[in-house]
Amino acid sequence: MADTQTERAFQKQDAISLKQIAGVSKKNARWYKSIGLGIKTPKEAIEGDYVDKKCPFTGNVSIRGRILRGTVVSTKMKRTVIVRRDYLHWVSKYKRFEKRHRNIPAHCSPCFRVREGDLVTIGECRPLSKTVRFNVLRIDRAAPAAEAGKKIYSSI
Amino acid sequence: MGITRDTLHKRRLTGGKKAVWRKKRKYNLGRQPANTKLGPKAVRPVRVRGGNYKFRALRLDTGNFSWGSESTSRKTRIVAVVYNASNNELVRTNTLVKGCIVQIDATPFRQWYSQHYGIEIGKKRKDETQQEEQQPTTAKAASNQTVSAVSRPVEKALLDQFSTGKLLARVSSRPGQCGRCDGYILEGKELEFYQRQMQRRKKSGKQ
Repeated sequence: MADTQTERAFQKQDAISLKQIAGVSKKNARWYKSIGLGIKTPKEAIEGDYVDKKCPFTGNVSIRGRILRGTVVSTKMKRTVIVRRDYLHWVSKYKRFEKRHRNIPAHCSPCFRVREGDLVTIGECRPLSKTVRFNVLRIDRAAPAAEAGKKIYSSI
Repeated sequence: MGITRDTLHKRRLTGGKKAVWRKKRKYNLGRQPANTKLGPKAVRPVRVRGGNYKFRALRLDTGNFSWGSESTSRKTRIVAVVYNASNNELVRTNTLVKGCIVQIDATPFRQWYSQHYGIEIGKKRKDETQQEEQQPTTAKAASNQTVSAVSRPVEKALLDQFSTGKLLARVSSRPGQCGRCDGYILEGKELEFYQRQMQRRKKSGKQ
């Protein structure tokens, strides 16, 4: 439990009261929810120790609106990842497609172990920061164990 | 005033500047921070959007603090601001904000406890380290004592605080918005955490 308190303020889930009541075991009091849409809440979210108010399963965000899929491009930020969505744009003059892509920053809960190249489902939520409006819901296909430094982009 | 909360002045995700294409709007306005200090109560009402009022506390000295494990609250005097996770400056200037740790007067809680359970907590005894079983003054106190107080004693860290007369509490209201400084008494893991943080600060300050 000690390693969850890394900030200067005490990290706790607001919904859980930490007070001791005789006869009630408070060892593993943890609040979590199911987010619907057929997404199963990961075991790590239910059993884990982390405190993340922006986690869709153990925090105060609701998933509504768009659900998108993409591949993870960068995991260098604290608890957020960049998800890349590739798509084809039709140019009617030449009757051909051209490749385009968009990078979406998404919040990534500590219950997921995400690596660059993972195929991931993200869901729209309220703005969590200046650029983050999405939350990682599920890892669809983990990237194969690649050699160090090799990044894998797969178009959907 | 000039303080806005819009996003038009910020750069894009790519780093590019956004061209200003309209004037500042009133619905984006921001106001000066309250910076509520300790002192005789001074609260200003501010008319906000929709005709509603916000109460900007400029100086406060009391608040309604609750004792979670005993489920009671009492209005108490705030003695001092002792820790702030975001800014040490706010501790030095005794500024009350949501989430800061304050010291509050323990007497109303001690009085409630002795009325409810008939036990005086925080009084130093010569040879005992635990609470002494006293004769409860009322029948209600007697029944309360047999049920709860014996099986659920006040934790040691809180008892120590009661003997000094000051409890550590965390402010959970926003004084600059509602004009009140309410909060809850720190207990258990949270209390331990903040005591450790304050110790660390003191130690690094002395070096």
